[in-house]
Amino acid sequence: MSKSKIFIVTPSFNEEKHIGRTIKAALSSGLPIILVDDGSTDSTYKIASSMEIRTIKHKTNLGKGAALKTGCEAAFAAGADAVILMDSDGQHKNEDLDKFLKALDRGYDVVFGSRNLNYGVPLVRYLGNKIASLLISFLFKIYVSDIPCGYRALTKNAYKKIVWESTGYGVETEMVINVGMSNLKYCEVSVETVYLDGVKGVTLLDALGVLGDVIRWRITK
Amino acid sequence: MIIGLQIVTLLFSFVMVYFAALHYKRGEIDRIEIIVWFIVWSFAIVAIVFPDLLQSFAKEFKFARLFDMMVVGGLILVIAMVSKAYISTRRIEKKVEKLVREEALKNVKK
Repeated sequence: MSKSKIFIVTPSFNEEKHIGRTIKAALSSGLPIILVDDGSTDSTYKIASSMEIRTIKHKTNLGKGAALKTGCEAAFAAGADAVILMDSDGQHKNEDLDKFLKALDRGYDVVFGSRNLNYGVPLVRYLGNKIASLLISFLFKIYVSDIPCGYRALTKNAYKKIVWESTGYGVETEMVINVGMSNLKYCEVSVETVYLDGVKGVTLLDALGVLGDVIRWRITK
Repeated sequence: MIIGLQIVTLLFSFVMVYFAALHYKRGEIDRIEIIVWFIVWSFAIVAIVFPDLLQSFAKEFKFARLFDMMVVGGLILVIAMVSKAYISTRRIEKKVEKLVREEALKNVKK
């Protein structure tokens, strides 16, 4: 798979503090970048659109899932064969990109990033992730060790098969469930994560909402 | 005590009839909806003013008291309305998502 046909897709919402640094780091990879500003009210879009990347703006905040979908569709319309999904708050390290590229080269359709305790994941989150993994494994027969990790890669073919309906934080879980229900080839790679903002990201309320979605998907999918 | 409760619920019913009429005047609900609301609240007013009228009706449905029948009826109505509101919110959410995403994809900045 040609490197120029692998795009980085990054959804962004009110990330003016980190966006400049994150994009600069991602640009050093040489991969084309698509940033989807999900209705930010700060200067995230202004900063991003001044850089050498493709930018897309949602007029209103729809949620991470919707922003990822827009980004993937824009990437595939621009000729991408695969996308690497990366958070815009600088959580995901550029150094791990190679692991995704190698896995895509080996023929995997979907590559899941997986954080572990050695890479600074707080214990409570680690345990929560493990419980979620076991629950999904029990309900959908697919075990992914770090379901909420948004650092992922997927091919165009995989996207068509697993396109999600979640607009919010349920997207990562739904993606895993959809992969489990398809016959796609997937693997996990270990990634490092830096926790920058304590209050951002998935909260307990979000997690409860996702749990409700999981039960609904078990019935409807 | 019962008279007091009757007065409060009667006032509430009249206020709700007024709100229904107001929404109809503003064009927020259509003729069918206003008729349905008038029927619902008229039924409630009759039940409040003449509770004995419905007593035999309650017995027919194996309710010990008219009050129990009204509570169960009200609960069914609330559940039906919440379900309808949920479905209509989901529908609007999907429409907004489609609109915003289509608009965004038309204006990709390179």
